[in-house]
Amino acid sequence: MITYKQTTLSNGLTIIANRDRASAMAAINLLYKVGARNEQPHRTGLAHLFEHLMFRGTHNVPVFDTPVQMACGENNAFTNNDYTDFYITLPTDNIETALWLESDRMTGLNLSHEACEIEKRVVIEEFRQRYLNQPYGDLNMLLRALVYKEHPYRWATIGLTPQHIEQATDEEIAEFYRRFYHPSNAILSVSADIEPERVFELGEKWFGHIKDSSHPIAPIPVEPEQTEARTQIVERDVPATTITIAFHMGNRLSEDFFLGDMTSDLLAGGDSARLYERLIKRKRLFASVNAYISGDVDCGMFVFTGQLLPTTTEEQALQAFQEEMEELRQGKISEYEIEKVKNKFEANTLFGELNVMNKAINLGYYSMIGDLGLINREVTIYRSLTAEQVAAFARRIFRNENLSTLIYRAKQ
Amino acid sequence: MKQPPLTIPTTIDVPATAKRLCKNGTPIYIIDCPEYEVVRVSFVFHAGTITQKHPFTASATANMLAEGSKELTSQQIAEKLDYYGSYFDINIDRDYSYITFCSLAKFFPQTAEVIEQIILHPTFPESEVATYCNKRSQQLSIERRKVETRAREHFAKAIFGENHPYGISYPESEYANLTRNHLEEHYKERYTAQNCMVVCSGHIYPNILEEIVSITEQLPSTGLLYSQPIPPFESCHEKMIQHDGAVQSSIRMGRLLFSRTHEDFIPMQVLSTVLGGYFGSRLMQNLRERSGFTYGVFSAMVNFQHTGYLAIATQVGTEVTQEALNQIAHEIEILRNNPIPEDELNLVKNIMAGEMMRILDGPFGIADVTTENILCGFDNSHINDNLQRIRNTTSEELLALAQKYLCTDDMVTVVVGDFNA
Repeated sequence: MITYKQTTLSNGLTIIANRDRASAMAAINLLYKVGARNEQPHRTGLAHLFEHLMFRGTHNVPVFDTPVQMACGENNAFTNNDYTDFYITLPTDNIETALWLESDRMTGLNLSHEACEIEKRVVIEEFRQRYLNQPYGDLNMLLRALVYKEHPYRWATIGLTPQHIEQATDEEIAEFYRRFYHPSNAILSVSADIEPERVFELGEKWFGHIKDSSHPIAPIPVEPEQTEARTQIVERDVPATTITIAFHMGNRLSEDFFLGDMTSDLLAGGDSARLYERLIKRKRLFASVNAYISGDVDCGMFVFTGQLLPTTTEEQALQAFQEEMEELRQGKISEYEIEKVKNKFEANTLFGELNVMNKAINLGYYSMIGDLGLINREVTIYRSLTAEQVAAFARRIFRNENLSTLIYRAKQ
Repeated sequence: MKQPPLTIPTTIDVPATAKRLCKNGTPIYIIDCPEYEVVRVSFVFHAGTITQKHPFTASATANMLAEGSKELTSQQIAEKLDYYGSYFDINIDRDYSYITFCSLAKFFPQTAEVIEQIILHPTFPESEVATYCNKRSQQLSIERRKVETRAREHFAKAIFGENHPYGISYPESEYANLTRNHLEEHYKERYTAQNCMVVCSGHIYPNILEEIVSITEQLPSTGLLYSQPIPPFESCHEKMIQHDGAVQSSIRMGRLLFSRTHEDFIPMQVLSTVLGGYFGSRLMQNLRERSGFTYGVFSAMVNFQHTGYLAIATQVGTEVTQEALNQIAHEIEILRNNPIPEDELNLVKNIMAGEMMRILDGPFGIADVTTENILCGFDNSHINDNLQRIRNTTSEELLALAQKYLCTDDMVTVVVGDFNA
């Protein structure tokens, strides 16, 4: 249970505060409601590039990291398809340093030609290191492109190609800043041993003067319903073939999300789960296997993936996935199994509340998806789900017309 | 708006550690943090890879502990832990193996039944060993297609010597020769009372402590203390390893130094932080911010029981490999010739203090730091001593250390990349 209070400043900035009496550290999280899904198809990778640029300094603070570090703090950020998140942890006494820095870079970012050019090179190297120079590095890109035809989830956060980043103009970058980086598109969440009212005062002090520049945010294309199975086969210089299959499912606030999460836990939540136990240990078909949901804000994916042992054929692997889905569709799920995934969910929730940083990040996230109270309701929601609901989910989602198959074949 | 004033912590509060000695001589260290309804308990054995007699035995033994026991199959072990939302984690380095369990405090008694089976009664079933060997051998062959992995392995060899127990690595084909007998023998010798210590943290209710004591006291006192002498280290100067088709080169540079117990370890940690230990470090400024050669570059002091080393690591575009090597050498030369400016040194000191505070935030991190201190022969008063030692480090001292330890002739360089591109 995470206690919190929230308020909204007159410029639209949402502030959420959690008091943690045990920690000497404060966590300050600033979430901007912009991710790769807000990009244009001809200019992908911009949200992630922008996350990098946010560390390029401002007129007041030429080097962002230095004052954080002088305050014994640490900061980092991440971007995904839905949002961009910045967080700082530092000794509680220095919390105003973090607020000062975040308010400063919400308006005064250095977007000089030189800064943009250097950061573009860094991001292109990241592209090469993590996606091109890595066995299986492009697997997720291929999967997205196969599953999504219209929705911007069809590209990964890094973007469709390094050229998009290379060719981004200074004006496009400046426009991105104006459009997405302003108070009403942001959420400030704080976890520390400080009274929430005091956090709100500090929020007003450091952010209250910033003018909002409400740009309408373009609607995001909707993915049309898939009507027939899709298959793609690629050959790469990798040691083992990997087979991935994916299905469309509902969005983060739909019942699908909880049922999908629970189904993926039944299949792959730990070493006692079905896939590991059956497909790795008993049938010895895979070297590794997993099932997961993408967990996006808009309608997401349910994914099975496995790396084949050299003795396994592609047909055997696909057949094994089909058999697992069939069992679920038929409702062969014991009460015991259901109870187990519920216990596990509860324990993981508690393990995730042990430090201020996780709490601040989570508060920002739940506020962004549009249901902050869900942060404390989820355990109860999971507790209420039944085996029959999971089976109905499996029947609705695991259909051939909803299936995409990616065979990432090892070159002989 | 104006920058707010700063407060720099001069001490770090750490909850007291209690110690209980079991009848068989194994110590249990207890860090009670009653505000968290979770428990973590780690069993640390002197059973790292240097103690093995056959390739991959040490890691296989540690990783197979939970794959079948006298009373439970691997499936039942996994099932029981999962059912209560408990989990375990196995780590192994050259010197030690670390078997760590986490559970909700309310489910610790049920978890303890499984811990007992894993720690005291593993059976290493033949078929589980075979599955494990297949899987690991395949994973390793994938890992070794990365320049990063190969650079790490070659660097260990270059620093310690090709066949030194701290440096050696084996072909994945060696997994085919590994049998359950190797594992059983290793387990009997190493997983014993004299080779073990236990560290627990979280809400340690009296009954929870008794459960932990009861398991620990059953460890047999029959094992061997590891007493093999450590062979002399033989560093080589340079290794250039061809990796066809790599679009980036992986670079490792560094030198053999000493373990954490050496008086220069902490100041060398300060020096390596200045060089490449944080986001704004000199190497990061140079290779990433100014040159755009790389996504990241790091340097750190690495500690082993009997020695330690300084390492710099990065991946850069193939075409700028030589220039990156030159720039790294250039930054080292600057450290050897110019004192570090006061501002920069203060910044690094604050970063290191903040880093310690962050690790110590939460019961699990405190347990990690306690474990590391005990293994080095310190207690937790060492945390504030370290903080003091960092505070007292001067630019003059670091200049002298750079001149003493960072001489070009003593540096080891390993590059894995495509030299024909």
